Amino acid sequence: MAAVACASVPDDADALLAVALAGDVERSFEHLVIAYRARIVNFVARMLHDDARAEDVAQDVFVRAYRALKTYPAERRAALRLRSWLYAIAHNLTRNAFRDAPPPSDSLEYEDGAPRAALIDDEPGPEHLVLRAEAWESIGDAIARLSAALRPAFVMRYVDDLSYEEIAESLDQPIGTVKASAHRGLLAVRAHLEKNDD
Amino acid sequence: MIEVSPDFTAKVFAGCGLDRYTTASSALGEMFVAWSDCGVSAVRIVSDEQGFEAWYRERFERGCVPAVEIDPIATAARARLQGEDVEVPVDLRDCSPFEERVLRKAAEIARGNARPYRWVARELGAPAAMRAVGNALGRNPVPLLIPCHRIIRTDLTAGGYVFGTDAKRKLLETEGVDFGAIETVTRRGFRYVGCERGWFCLPTCGTVARRIDDPGYMGLRNAEEAHEHGLVPCHLCRPIAA
Repeated sequence: MAAVACASVPDDADALLAVALAGDVERSFEHLVIAYRARIVNFVARMLHDDARAEDVAQDVFVRAYRALKTYPAERRAALRLRSWLYAIAHNLTRNAFRDAPPPSDSLEYEDGAPRAALIDDEPGPEHLVLRAEAWESIGDAIARLSAALRPAFVMRYVDDLSYEEIAESLDQPIGTVKASAHRGLLAVRAHLEKNDD
Repeated sequence: MIEVSPDFTAKVFAGCGLDRYTTASSALGEMFVAWSDCGVSAVRIVSDEQGFEAWYRERFERGCVPAVEIDPIATAARARLQGEDVEVPVDLRDCSPFEERVLRKAAEIARGNARPYRWVARELGAPAAMRAVGNALGRNPVPLLIPCHRIIRTDLTAGGYVFGTDAKRKLLETEGVDFGAIETVTRRGFRYVGCERGWFCLPTCGTVARRIDDPGYMGLRNAEEAHEHGLVPCHLCRPIAA
């Protein structure tokens, strides 16, 4: 699924980048921007459902990352898990905008998080629907209708291909919580897509 | 999937108070070219990186690091330094308003031409500010891109330059300025070159100095002589301003 959204950054590349940042933040910083700009811009766009603002907010993500890196001691920079760290910054920046926005009038969930549309059987899996390029527009609509509680975990897991451990780090939540949020988001998106296919 | 804009990284770096630099070939050899999100901020002959970065930080009060990627601004700068006729945005935030006016005026002077310092001062409505003009040109952060080498002494010799007088003369000659012909005109006591077709020029206006002995051309000692021949000032070099 991540191959559709963005090229992923291998973990060992992340580790090397963290070591480079530990050595010289200024000279290594552009490598970090290049490695993550597409992912962060697209993550922000999905979180805000606003392509026009996505680049501005994503630029702010990197500026804040740079300022933080300049204050961290070298050992802390070397130990950073860059992907979850950057997503955490992006999540924090988009959360306020998300919170300020009015709740979607056509939310995919009831107040308890249960999907509004009827569920269908597990096969074929919703991931297959997500992989279809022609379904991408519908997925964007579906993501925009997810609540603030489900959207970050769903996007990080099923669009950006982060591990549950990384998502838990980014959102500062227990793994069980992010698993449940991602799954409930998945069911809601899937139900929405099935309904639209009818 | 949103495509990231080509200037995304430059805007991030602007937010971080950092500029980037790369190298580029030019008529004077390899150059360091630094740029911000506003445009090219510095052009300097390649030396050691640490020295350049220290100079940059002292002058611009921003950091400057080697670029990993080349974006549209740097691509345009490289093309211009290799002689292509492309627009290159320049970042003159470091310059005073007067310095910026001087540099914008210098940028109007076309390849193959030169103008005296006094000409720039008069064009800017400050005829007494010749020294200030010279100082502003000396602080040009983007030589070659803003062709401050095309401003020469009032006696029409090359004069000073950030990369040295020899480099200035070489550049002007490469661009088609014929110092030999200009010296011939001035040695004979002529200040302008007139053309019977109705106009008169500075000897540094295009190739006019070479034609002084051609049929239909003449040397002129002052503007009054030009008026006596019924000639009007060239609209390109505006010789009266010199």
